Amino acid sequence: MSAPAIRIQHLTKDFRLGLRGIKLRAVDDLSFEVADNQVVGLLGPNGSGKSTTMKVILGLLEPTLGQCEIFGLRSDSVAARQLVGYLPESPYFYRFLSGRELVNYYAGICGVPQAGRARRVAEVLDLVGLTPAADRRVGTYSKGMLQRVGLAQAIVHDPRLVILDEPTAGVDPLGAIAISEIILELKRRGKTVLLCSHLLAQVEDVCDHLVMLNQGRLVTEGAVADLLRRENLTNLAVANYSPALRADLEALLARHGARLQHVDPARVALDQLFLEKVGHAPTKDSP
Amino acid sequence: MTTAPAQVWQIARLTFLEAVRQRFFNFLLILGAALIGSASFFHQFDFGPQELRFTADFGLGGIMFFGSILAVVATAQLFFSEIENRTALTLLAKPVRRWSFLAGKLLGVALLLFVFVGLLVSLLAAYLWWQQGQRIAIWHAAKLAGEVKTEFPDLLRVQFVGLALDAVLLWLKFTVLAAITLLVASFSNTNLYTVIVSFFIFLICQLQYIAHDAWSGLESPILRGLVWFLSKLFPNFQLFAIGDQLVFIGKVPVPDGAVVAAFGYGVLYLIVFTTLAVGSFRGREI
Repeated sequence: MSAPAIRIQHLTKDFRLGLRGIKLRAVDDLSFEVADNQVVGLLGPNGSGKSTTMKVILGLLEPTLGQCEIFGLRSDSVAARQLVGYLPESPYFYRFLSGRELVNYYAGICGVPQAGRARRVAEVLDLVGLTPAADRRVGTYSKGMLQRVGLAQAIVHDPRLVILDEPTAGVDPLGAIAISEIILELKRRGKTVLLCSHLLAQVEDVCDHLVMLNQGRLVTEGAVADLLRRENLTNLAVANYSPALRADLEALLARHGARLQHVDPARVALDQLFLEKVGHAPTKDSP
Repeated sequence: MTTAPAQVWQIARLTFLEAVRQRFFNFLLILGAALIGSASFFHQFDFGPQELRFTADFGLGGIMFFGSILAVVATAQLFFSEIENRTALTLLAKPVRRWSFLAGKLLGVALLLFVFVGLLVSLLAAYLWWQQGQRIAIWHAAKLAGEVKTEFPDLLRVQFVGLALDAVLLWLKFTVLAAITLLVASFSNTNLYTVIVSFFIFLICQLQYIAHDAWSGLESPILRGLVWFLSKLFPNFQLFAIGDQLVFIGKVPVPDGAVVAAFGYGVLYLIVFTTLAVGSFRGREI
């Protein structure tokens, strides 16, 4: 059986603060696993230990206790980091490079062979929709474009695990939808994605699995469908609804031992409305 | 997987590119060039045949002064720009070892210092060449007029190979100073603190010989031991001044192997400070 994409066992991380070394426990005895080829949402309020957990997974922080593995390798090993791509929150890149030069730089750092590097860079820039702006300086990019070039650098070396920290922060709804599509495309290509986001609607749309933290501890985890299901309740969408129909419906339901709990007019989701109205209009992000 | 030396080179290249785009580097370069050029304004003072020596000392002093500032400030700035902008976070999340990151930063600064020293010393050499030509012409005219009987003395001639060796030693000294700054930056939290502490250490290294002279007569073995330890802890930057004696033929010849010894001394300290910086940076939380 192959190793899970991420395995965290009894992870605890303490920070020492100030001269007196007051201990702050950021993560407390955290254990969870992320299976291969899943999109997993890491959720929690600010200060819940998400960033610390991610930094441990990336080998940027040493755990105080416990261990973390990526595809069976210690997460702080260089070999493990070869398998990981990372997009930090509000990414900042070398402003004097063009998008293409930036992604090429990270491709070189990750050991993408010189022979196919230019082709690979063009491929990921195309995947994130940055081809027309690839030769512009990063300093001229909008927030959405920065997130996209950040995504491109994260996946340029074809990692098996992609970690995205708030990939849609500061991005308009169209940009957020584009990023969601890229995440789903990565899943189709066999990648595992760990997504940390406060945009819960996006998490719900793209994630297969959720891990929820609070105050450094695991609150709940499981498949999105299981966690969001409300036991013993089913929604019906009815066209041409009328008060007369309601009476018949209640009688029919009563015969089957069921009960009509509430009737609400159907609503379209706000992001869907936004997409319908401005989806085809040029945006600031469009190069 | 890419090799560590290839990563170091790529980080160094980007560091160098970032540095040469900074106004600070260009400002110091222009200031250094202006200082060398300003040596011609001292013509109103008649230095006679010693004018070349004055120009060389003045120019090398200027390069030394601005180069030291560049070594400290550029190293601190290039390191903290990576930390504060969190580009280090993106980079170190890649398969990059921390020592590769620091070595790349140091190599990038070393390249920057090489360009700085190379450009200014070339400018100084060109100016000395032109000035020496004029001096020789004046001497030749005086000889024709019967005012002097000898050829232009070798003691007054610029030794351009010596000047090149001096430039190499200057560059090495700046690179050692950059490594010291990197060591301080590896554990400090702010750019300003790093710059202040590094300049303080630079002063200790520069003036170490004074302390050594003052304390060498100590009778207490403990104090003498302490002074000995401190004299080994901080490099003696005056040892690199041997390069200045190579620009002109001195009355006392420079001992054979002195330049190689000074070079080895610099390389040794460079390795020690870089290793200490790597050790300190390894435990740093990014």
